Amino acid sequence: MDSAVEITLEDVGHAFTDDRGGAVRALDGVDLTVRDGEFVTVVGPSGCGKSTLLKAIAGLLRPTEGSVRCGGREVTGPGHDRGMVFQDLAILPWRTVRRNIGHGLEIQGVPRAERERRVAQFVELMNLTGFEDRYPHELSGGMKQRVAVARTWAAEPPVILMDEPFAAVDAQTRLTLQAELLRVSLLTTHTLVFITHNTEEAVFLGDRVVVMSRRPGRIKEIVDIPVPRADRRLPELLGEPGVRERADHILRLVREEVG
Amino acid sequence: MPAARKLEGRRAESPPRPAVPRRRRPSLSGPYGFLVPLFLLLIGWAAVKGGFGLADDVVASPGQVAGALWALVETGVLPAFVSVSMGRLVLGALLAAAVGLPVGLLLGLTRYGALMFEPFLRFLQAVSGIAWLPLAIIWFGFTDRTILVVIVYTAAIPVIFNTMTGVRTVPPVYAQAVSTLGGGRLRTLWNVYLPGALPGIVVGLRLGIGYGWRALIAGEMLAGKSGLGFLIFDARRFHVIDTIMAGMVVIGLLYLVVDRMIFGALERLTVRRWGVLR
Repeated sequence: MDSAVEITLEDVGHAFTDDRGGAVRALDGVDLTVRDGEFVTVVGPSGCGKSTLLKAIAGLLRPTEGSVRCGGREVTGPGHDRGMVFQDLAILPWRTVRRNIGHGLEIQGVPRAERERRVAQFVELMNLTGFEDRYPHELSGGMKQRVAVARTWAAEPPVILMDEPFAAVDAQTRLTLQAELLRVSLLTTHTLVFITHNTEEAVFLGDRVVVMSRRPGRIKEIVDIPVPRADRRLPELLGEPGVRERADHILRLVREEVG
Repeated sequence: MPAARKLEGRRAESPPRPAVPRRRRPSLSGPYGFLVPLFLLLIGWAAVKGGFGLADDVVASPGQVAGALWALVETGVLPAFVSVSMGRLVLGALLAAAVGLPVGLLLGLTRYGALMFEPFLRFLQAVSGIAWLPLAIIWFGFTDRTILVVIVYTAAIPVIFNTMTGVRTVPPVYAQAVSTLGGGRLRTLWNVYLPGALPGIVVGLRLGIGYGWRALIAGEMLAGKSGLGFLIFDARRFHVIDTIMAGMVVIGLLYLVVDRMIFGALERLTVRRWGVLR
C-alpha cells in the first residue's frame, strides 16, 4: 500500500460565489506534477487558494476547471489513497489517542491484532507513549497534531496531504514537529503535498517549494531545495550552501505578493 | 503517657486511607443540597398553614401528607400506580427516541432540512401534547393508547430538535477527515455525526422525558384509569387533600430519581469524558 503515486494537475482553476454573492476566482491555470515519493511544499499569501488546491487533490472539492489525476486516475471524491492532515480539530474528541490513530485501519478492516501493532508503532514514533488512552482534550496542541499526523500515516496512503498542520502550535513545538515529520517522511515512501504560509517551514520540509501568487492563485515559481531530506538538520539547514539564498528568494517572492 | 496513648488510640481507630481520593468538596448539587430547600419548604408550608389557620380540607399539614403517603404504600396503591406510570414513561420514551433520533439525524444531515422544518417544529412544540388530548380521546378513547400518544408526541419534539442541532454543531472537518481515511456515508454517520450529536441527543432525551412526564400526568388525569395522575385527580372527587399532595410529592421525587440515575450516569460515561461539555 505504501507505493507512492504521481499527482498531476492540468490547468486547474476554481471559481465560486461567496456569501455576499460575489464571484471569486480562487485558482487559475495551475499546472503541477508532483512526482511519486516527492515532498512538495506550497507557500503563498493567505487567501491565495493553497487550501483550495489541496482540497481539489483530496477530492473534498471539485475544481470548476481542469483535471486532477492521482496515480493516473481522475480524482472524483475523497478516498483512503489520499490521506490528509488538517490544520485543526480534525481528530475525533470522542476517540482516545489509540482509537484515533487506528481509525483508518479500522475503516480498512485491518484485524484488531494487526491494528494494535501498527498503532503501537506510531505511538512510539510520534512520542505519544503513555497517552494512548487519553482523549484529545487532555492533550497539548503539539500532541494533538502528532495524533493527527500518526492517524494519517498509520493508514499508509500513497499520497499524504497536509494543510498548515503546524500553524496553531508555538514556535518551539513547531520545530520539533517539523523534525519529526522529516524523519517520518523517510520511513515509508509517500507523495507529500504540504501547505504553509511560513516560507521557512516550506524550505525545511520540501524537496521543491511551490510559490503561489495572490488570488487568483497561480504558480509563480517552483524552487528546488538542493539538500536531500535524509541529510537535513533543523534549523541548521538554512546555513547550508545554496539554501539561504533560495529561502531569501522565496521570502521575496511571497512578500511581493503580500505587498 | 495518657496523651500518647490517646494519640495511638486515635491512629488505630482512624479508617484506612481510601485508595480512590474522596470528592474534594461536599457537592451542593447532590442529595444533601436538595435537603436544604426541602427543609425550608416544609417550614414555610407548616408556617403558612398554621399562620393563616388553613383547614385540613384546604391544605394538609406535612405530617398528614406523610401519613397519607405511608397509607398509600401500605395498601399497595402507590407501588402499583408508580409502576404503571413508570412503565408508560419508559415505553413512551423508547418510542419517542425511536421516532426522534432518526428524524433529527435526517433533518440535521440534509442541508435545507433544518431550515425548512425548524418553524414547523416550533409550531408543533407550541401545540403541546396536552392540547392534543381532546383529539386523542376522540380517536383512541379513555385508553392507555391516548396517554401514550400524548407522551410520545411531547417527548419526541425535543429529541428531534436537539438531535438536529447536535448534528449541525459537528464541525464538517471531522466528516472530511473520516472521508480521507476512506470512510463512506454510513461510517461517517456512525463514527462522526452520532457521537458528535450525542451531547445534543442527551439533552433532547432529558428534556423529552421531563416534558413527557408532565404530559403523562396530564394524560392520566384526563384519560387514565390508573397511574399517579389518575391518583391525584381521582382523590379530588373525594376531597382527600393529603392524598393529592402526597401524590404530587411522589411525582416530583420520581422525576428527580429518573433524571439523576439515567442522565447523570450517561453524561459521566460519555460527554464529560470527551471534554465536550467543558
